[in-house]
Amino acid sequence: MRDYLKPTLGSRVFDTANVVFMLVFCALMIYPFLNLLAISLNDGVDAARGGIYLFPRKLSFSAYELLFQNKKMLNGFIWSILRVVVGTVACLLATGLLAYLVNIRHFSGRKFMRILFFITMYFNGGFFPVYLLVVNLGLTNSFHVYWLPALFNVYFMLLISSYIQNQPDALFESARIDGAGEFRIYWKIVIPICVPVFAAVSVYLAVSHWNSWFDVVLYNPSGKFDTLQVYLRRLLLEMEGLQQIRDQQVLYNRYRDLSPLTLRAATTIVVTVPILLVYPFVQKYFIGGIMLGSIKG
Amino acid sequence: MNTWRRRIVKERQIWIMAVPMIVWVLVFSYYPMYGMIIAFQNYVPGNSFFSGDWVGFAHFERFFNSPDFGTIMRNTFAISGLNILFGLPAPLILALLLNELKNKSFKRFTQTLSYIPYFISWVVVASILFTLLGSDGLLNKLLIDFGFIREPISFLGEGKYFWGILTTSNVWKDVGFNSIIYLSALASIDREQIEAGKADGIGRFGTVWHIYLPGIRTTIILLWILGLGGILNAGFEQQLLLGSPTTAEYSEVIDTYVYKYGVQLGYYSFAAAVNLMKAVVSVLLVIGMNRIAKKFFDTSIL
Repeated sequence: MRDYLKPTLGSRVFDTANVVFMLVFCALMIYPFLNLLAISLNDGVDAARGGIYLFPRKLSFSAYELLFQNKKMLNGFIWSILRVVVGTVACLLATGLLAYLVNIRHFSGRKFMRILFFITMYFNGGFFPVYLLVVNLGLTNSFHVYWLPALFNVYFMLLISSYIQNQPDALFESARIDGAGEFRIYWKIVIPICVPVFAAVSVYLAVSHWNSWFDVVLYNPSGKFDTLQVYLRRLLLEMEGLQQIRDQQVLYNRYRDLSPLTLRAATTIVVTVPILLVYPFVQKYFIGGIMLGSIKG
Repeated sequence: MNTWRRRIVKERQIWIMAVPMIVWVLVFSYYPMYGMIIAFQNYVPGNSFFSGDWVGFAHFERFFNSPDFGTIMRNTFAISGLNILFGLPAPLILALLLNELKNKSFKRFTQTLSYIPYFISWVVVASILFTLLGSDGLLNKLLIDFGFIREPISFLGEGKYFWGILTTSNVWKDVGFNSIIYLSALASIDREQIEAGKADGIGRFGTVWHIYLPGIRTTIILLWILGLGGILNAGFEQQLLLGSPTTAEYSEVIDTYVYKYGVQLGYYSFAAAVNLMKAVVSVLLVIGMNRIAKKFFDTSIL
């Protein structure tokens, strides 16, 4: 786009200042991760002196070596992945089916179900009532708390529902005339046409499953189903986490050059990297999701 | 009745799928709401919700009269208020500045980086803060090197820094992501309006003030009203991760208080009362804010 008038001096000063501001802003967004990466790759004893900014001063991979030998960390990794896969797929398919059912024109319970679910979006009592329920159901210390209490998501139901609404009804009607059952229509027609919105929703679901830690602490205090986030949290907040490191150090004499600082940094990087790796590929989907949401609003 | 039965039989395929959903929502959303009646009882875990002895509003009174009440309300409103004060305008300003960038690929690059913190868990943010703000961390080192302080400050160990750290990390985490919605609203403004403004010579600042801001007025109002409706949600993940006994006076908010009493100490009924109070006020706030939006701005969120 070409300006009609020559940019004024003030305008050019602003442009330069704006670019400088954005560069500083970019640095603020990304620097904390680079700093952690540098610390995680540094010798532990040396890192404790401080002053590591962008590059490791004394390169050492022992923090990562120790981490990848640590059973608890590896278990956490496996539970995190299982949780993301099971939680995302279950919620996506269940919420998608719900969104389709409330869009079937001739279904008499359509409005009732819409309202039944919609109310819960505004009238929910926070985590404590659900906590009592989960305790009473005896679901604590099981893998099921990772997917069952969050099986249906009302916000995503509305999102998918508005997407289905914009599709021609004839699509489903002709399948019905051909004698296809409703579940078959959902499986063979609704899911394929809803790929864009499903992709957006699954990005949000997967990220939120990967990032959750509070429900793990709340529902699975036994530690058997600890995810990666909770492992990192233990390192941060609990003395036993540090004790674990010391035990390991005694066990493997060669990890003398480790410190809690570098190990914590390395764990943080391990927790963050999967998100950063998939991020470039999913970016367009989550932005698409916001656009869908804003159209609805 | 007969017609009803016939309809259900005709729709049995759908009902077979719908019934488990209804059961789920009753169990996981409605039953917990109902379970909140233990706020009016002395509930003993393991018993049914009917068997407790009724105590009326005793738990509510206990909460209102406890010395914690003032601190908790202050912290909740302060943390939430700071989040609204800084967290609401920041993405708008970022969006407006991004919108002024001439180089489109630089703009895209900045946007891409700005979303990253949103996708990081609070545990990771806490780890970053522990590292940056620790006594041998970057911030202390810089402050000492530039001669502002002599001894390292324990930023996370002193209550007076807590609100500031929380607000900053909140803005850092969400500013990029929350700017998306403003940017998409800005993109939908009629190009002709902007060209007309230029032809009138209103300048760049004038364009922002007279065209861009009015053009996204609805979006701004909607988001800010939503934000005000959630003023009792001061977050709790951050408080649980970053707070410590030494900062508790500044970090304890309603949600962490419920967690402490309900889950850690096992005072179920008391925690349920505090929780219920918050839930009721929150719903009233959202409804009230929606009324205001409808009446004055002709937009609605419900």
